[in-house]
Amino acid sequence: MPKNTKGYLNVWDDTVSGRDLLLALIISTPLTLGGYLLAPGTPPLPLILGLSGAIVGFFINAVLFKPKRLLDFGKEQ
Amino acid sequence: MEPVLLLQMLIAAVVAVVVYTAIGVAPGTDETAVLAPVTLALVVAGIPLSVVLAFFMAAIVAKKLTDSIPVSVAGIPGGVMSAPMVEHALILKREGHATLAIRKMASGSVIGTLIAVPISLLLAFLLTPLASVLGQYASQLFFGGAVFLALMSREKVISLISIILIAALVQSLRHLYWGMGVIPEGQVVFISFFLGITIGPMMFNLAQLTVNKERAAMVEPEPKSIQIFGDDERGRLPNPFRILTRQETVSAAASSVLGSVTFFMSPVGITIFLGEVMSSWVKGTVNKASRALSSMDAVTNASYIAGILIPLAALGIPMSPMAIGPGNAFFNAPPVLTLEQNAHHLMSFSEIAIASVLGAGIALLITYPIAVRYARKICVFVFQHVPHEAFLAMFFSLVMLLAYMDAGLMGILGVMVLALVAGLLNRWGVNYGVQFMALYAAPWLMGLLV
Repeated sequence: MPKNTKGYLNVWDDTVSGRDLLLALIISTPLTLGGYLLAPGTPPLPLILGLSGAIVGFFINAVLFKPKRLLDFGKEQ
Repeated sequence: MEPVLLLQMLIAAVVAVVVYTAIGVAPGTDETAVLAPVTLALVVAGIPLSVVLAFFMAAIVAKKLTDSIPVSVAGIPGGVMSAPMVEHALILKREGHATLAIRKMASGSVIGTLIAVPISLLLAFLLTPLASVLGQYASQLFFGGAVFLALMSREKVISLISIILIAALVQSLRHLYWGMGVIPEGQVVFISFFLGITIGPMMFNLAQLTVNKERAAMVEPEPKSIQIFGDDERGRLPNPFRILTRQETVSAAASSVLGSVTFFMSPVGITIFLGEVMSSWVKGTVNKASRALSSMDAVTNASYIAGILIPLAALGIPMSPMAIGPGNAFFNAPPVLTLEQNAHHLMSFSEIAIASVLGAGIALLITYPIAVRYARKICVFVFQHVPHEAFLAMFFSLVMLLAYMDAGLMGILGVMVLALVAGLLNRWGVNYGVQFMALYAAPWLMGLLV
C-alpha cells in the first residue's frame, strides 16, 4: 500500500490517492482523445482508435497504480 | 440463415461474454458507458447487424449476471442497476447467509432472461400495429414516466422540479450547438447528454476535489475496507430452478413479465418499485431479502431485454431508455443506420429472434456457472489488482471522447455543465430514472412553453 501522508480521497464510492487519480486522468484522456483525433481518415477508424486508446490507458493505469482497498477475509483465512 | 453468419454470431457472443463478465464485476461500471460506444463502433464499422445484436444480447445478459457478484461478495454495487440490491444482500449476510445472495440473484437473472426473450418477442409481435400511434406519443410517455418516477421517489418536490430544469438545460445546450454552428441545425445530440447524466455523480465528485473545503471533507485516513463474505460454491453446480422457492420463482417470473411490459419506463425505477412490491408481503427478514433479490435481478434482465427487443422488432424508434441509451446504435448510427433506415427496417423478425436467443443463450450457459462458482475469486482478483483510479480515468476519457464526437470542444464543455447539474441533483435524491426520462421528453416539454 503506497504511503501517503495526506490520506486517501473518497471518490465515487471508493478510496483513491489524489496524485494517482490525477496521473491516471493525464494518461487516459490524451490516449483516448488523441487516438480519435490523430486517426487517419475514414469514419469507423477514429472511433476504434479512440476506444483502443481508452483500453490501453486503462491497462497502463491498472499496472501503474495499486488499488487502495483493504480486503478483510473474516476468520477463515 | 447462412452457416457462416451463424458462426460469426456465435463467436461474437462468446467474445461479449468474456469481456462483459470481467466488466460486470468492476464496481460502478455503467451499462451505457460500457456498451454504447462499443455497439456504435461495431455498427459503424460495418459488422453485420445480426452479429452485432448477438454480441449485444450476450453482453447484456453476461453483464447483468456478473453485476450481482460484487453485491453479494462485498456489498458493493457492480453498476447503477444493482445499487438497490445492496441493502438486501447485506441483510442476508448479516443473518449468516452470505452465499445465498449470489445464488438467489443469479437464479433471478436466469428466470428474467428466459421469460423476457419470448415475452418481448410476443409483445413486439402484438405491438407492431400500434407502432405508428405509440411512436407519435413517445415524448408524452417519457414525460409521464418522469412524473411517475418522481412521485414514487423519496424526494418528490425536487424530482418534479428537476424534470423541467434538466429539459431546459438539455435544450439550451442543443440550441447553443446549433446557434454556434457546431452541428447542423436539427441534428439532435443525444449520447453525450445521456452519458453526462450517467457520470454526473462521478463528475460532481471530481469537481469537489478542486474545492478546498469540499476536498477536506472527502479525505479518509485509511483505504476503504472491504469485507469479503462467505465462500465459493463447491461440488455440483446448483440448478437455477431449485435455488428459488416456488413463491420466489413465481414472483421473479411475474416481475419479469411486468418488467417486459413496462419496457418504455426506466429500468432502475421499475426494479426498485417491483422489488419493494414483491417483497412487501413476505414475512421474515431472510425470506423478504431473498424475495427482493431474486425479483429485482429478474426485472433488471427483463426490462433490459424487452427495452431493446420491443423497439427493435416492433417500433423502429428507440422508444425505451435501453434502446435510446446502450442500444442507440441499432436505431441511429450515421452513416450506416438512420432513424428512417435502421436495424428495425433492415432485419427481419426471425433474424432478430435468432440473434437474441443465440446471444442470450450463450451468455446464460457460460456466465451462470462462473458467477455461482467463482464469484468470490473473481471479486477478490478485481479488488486486489484493478485500481479505482483506472476506472475513473477510463470513464472520464470515454465520455470526453463521445462528447467530442457529438459536438467537438463545445460538446465537452456542455457535458461537463450537464454532468455537474445532474450530479448535484442526484445527490439531492433525484434518481437516474427521472433524469433520463426528462432528457427524452426535453424537446417536447420545452416546445410546450413557447
